[in-house]
Amino acid sequence: MKQVSPPLLQLQGISKSFGPLLALKDVNLTIQHREIHGLLGGNGAGKTTLMNVLFGLYKPNAGQVILRGQTIHIQSPRDAIHHGIGMVHQHFLQVPHFTVVQNIVLGSRLHNRPTLNLTRATERIQDLCQRFGLEADPNAHIIDLPMGVRQRVEILKALYRGVDVLILDEPTTNLTPQEVDSLFESLQRMVAEGMSVVFITHKLREVMQVCDTISVLRAGEHQLTLPRTQVSEELIVRTMVGSDIDLDESILFAATAPQESSSSRTGPPVLDVQGLTLTAESNTPQVDDVSLQVHAGEIVGIAGVAGNGQQELLEAVLGIRTADRGQIRFQNEELGHCSTRDRLRRGIAYVPEDRVQDGILPTATIAQNSILGVHDRPPYSQHGILKWPIITQHAQHLIAEYHIQTQGAGQQAGNLSGGNLQRLILARALAQPIQLLILHNPTSGLDIPTVEQIYRQIRQRRQEGLAVLLVSDDLDELMLLSDRIAVLYRGALVGHLQQKDFDKYEIGRMMSGVYNHV
Amino acid sequence: MQNSQFVQFASLVMLAIVPYILASQGTMLAGQTGLFIVSQEGVMLVGASVGFLGAFLSGSLLIGLLLAALSGAIAGLALAYFTTTLKLDQFVIGLAIFFLGLGLSNLFFKLVVGVTLQPPIIPTLKAVPIPLLSQIPILGPILFRQNLMVYFSILLSLFLIYFLYYTSWGLSLRAVGENPKAADSVGVPVARSRYITAIVAGMLMALAGAYLPMVYTGSYTDGIVNGRGWLAIALTFLGGWSPHLIFVGSLFFAGVEILALRAQVLGVGLPYQFLRMIPYLATIFVMLLTYKRLRTPAFLGLNYDRESRTSI
Repeated sequence: MKQVSPPLLQLQGISKSFGPLLALKDVNLTIQHREIHGLLGGNGAGKTTLMNVLFGLYKPNAGQVILRGQTIHIQSPRDAIHHGIGMVHQHFLQVPHFTVVQNIVLGSRLHNRPTLNLTRATERIQDLCQRFGLEADPNAHIIDLPMGVRQRVEILKALYRGVDVLILDEPTTNLTPQEVDSLFESLQRMVAEGMSVVFITHKLREVMQVCDTISVLRAGEHQLTLPRTQVSEELIVRTMVGSDIDLDESILFAATAPQESSSSRTGPPVLDVQGLTLTAESNTPQVDDVSLQVHAGEIVGIAGVAGNGQQELLEAVLGIRTADRGQIRFQNEELGHCSTRDRLRRGIAYVPEDRVQDGILPTATIAQNSILGVHDRPPYSQHGILKWPIITQHAQHLIAEYHIQTQGAGQQAGNLSGGNLQRLILARALAQPIQLLILHNPTSGLDIPTVEQIYRQIRQRRQEGLAVLLVSDDLDELMLLSDRIAVLYRGALVGHLQQKDFDKYEIGRMMSGVYNHV
Repeated sequence: MQNSQFVQFASLVMLAIVPYILASQGTMLAGQTGLFIVSQEGVMLVGASVGFLGAFLSGSLLIGLLLAALSGAIAGLALAYFTTTLKLDQFVIGLAIFFLGLGLSNLFFKLVVGVTLQPPIIPTLKAVPIPLLSQIPILGPILFRQNLMVYFSILLSLFLIYFLYYTSWGLSLRAVGENPKAADSVGVPVARSRYITAIVAGMLMALAGAYLPMVYTGSYTDGIVNGRGWLAIALTFLGGWSPHLIFVGSLFFAGVEILALRAQVLGVGLPYQFLRMIPYLATIFVMLLTYKRLRTPAFLGLNYDRESRTSI
């Protein structure tokens, strides 16, 4: 007789509501010993909420956690760590000016509290680094480290505390493909040593690549749990999206490569940037001699690890920041010291990365937000007086056309969900006669149907001859939409690929600065 | 004789250094947990008033100092409660406590002493020479023939350097001021850290004030603190919120203070007001030169709310 031992961890009947919103409905999940368990679902499916419950950050309304056959009560992250459960959050919780070892030992029980002799801790960390293939210099300061290493530090933090279950929340977001591979290798080593890993993601391919077991959540409900060998990509996709979108028409899950752009790229470019350089106070260039053209009817993608000058480049193009050197020409006219308002008037639209901070006025109504930027021009105002009937009509038109779910144009824009907010911002940009659309991470944090809808709109506008500059941290998104991809590394364009040459490893090398010719 | 003049000057500087060190190290310590205190001047005034009255009524300087520390602890507790528990703006609450202290210090004195023809006098702090060490030429009289509060401020500075940078408690405290969310996530008690540093900071500031009537004249006058509380804030920034640089800065500020007094006595032709201005000018000047390199704790002046979803 084979002896049956209880599974490592069982979540039973977990429900959690935030006010009227039911985020988790009676979810059951079982984590076995020695497995990488992929927890898959679109945004808002409840993956992170479920794991936050397990880690003691949220208190569930109902349900229990069973560890090795025994019910445990987790009230705080401290309890979770005590029970051997560690979590790596999507946003790293680190002190930038501390060293790696200081960040790792912080809050842990040190035997030599009054002397803080970190030699032993450093040795232990170095040992962990080697065992799990997580390369990191213990004495480096966090602020000097690239995102990939910072994430390893976050994992080391959990390993240092001796966890048996490690939860990783969307760990691949800021990593290059090479870094993703090395992360997966480390996860496999952890499992080989007897740990279990819960891997939260919305990226199907990653799950298929590394996970032993796959669970899918949708709208707060557990859909399925199956070994990887028994599932197909199609089954998973259908389970993830339900009947919300038509898979055969889908851009996001398309099996075939995207069609070539119809752009002949003749004539002068819509946007022509030459030798743009922007220097920070500390004298290191934030944008370093960037030259770039975007023609009508094409989507140019900018890849790069977040923080390599993307924001600065866009803000220089928009005139929010003043470049030190270089030229920006729009439709054959030098923009020079043109104000941001003038640039927008000439036909540039901008969808910023931070929707709430930079995209809208949260306490203003949807109607007011829908005319932001053109509010002082006819037909929305005349002689400085706003024409409310026209504005409201305009807003209602946008709400209908872009399927913005709201009670009306008079609602506060700040109350919209992320997806609806992004629809509003995109609707506002596309409602005006524009020649250039600038997008920065247009789909981050959005649910699958919204992503689908936004992709569709971008594609359609490109067909109609709009020039699009798409800056994104999501390599899959760039490869799906772009006609060309340029790679930004430390403010400089280090590579340039045509659609037929797209290769995520090649781009990954450029993103980490390994590749160095244009 | 050159030598003896220098020794005399230097030992006067060591006397004057005490309030600067105590008030600035207190400011720095609270700043390490993200609390930005601006009520130094007021807390020092209360400390001066309470310390003086305690010593006057009890006849013991020690009791005066203890009572002053207690008053400072109350001020610190109030600040921590309003900012950490109620999450009110640190700057506004700090100013409110300053004004409260300004009024209370005079009120206490009027209530206890009233209007007298002859101002009440307390004994001044006596020098306590340290055996052997005080016999060292030059250094001995400067460093080791001073009153106990001078020794205390030097030891405090050394202790803070050790505590903040060489113990795990110090690491935890500094983490609170740098990224309270990260500290919270690994079980460092954010609120408790802030309460403790606020109370200790308040005590140090009140002691800084109480020292003033006890060291020179033995009498209490209105406005005895004379802007030293505000200077302490400048000094803390100048010292980059680190205990060692604050110690050096205190030497400089105290040196200027003594020079200004000297210049007044000797009549060097420079107006007294101009000399009094030097510490402020020096602050602006040094800040201009170093502002890119000087660091303040990342969360300085900001309250922390665990439920808040904004990230840094």
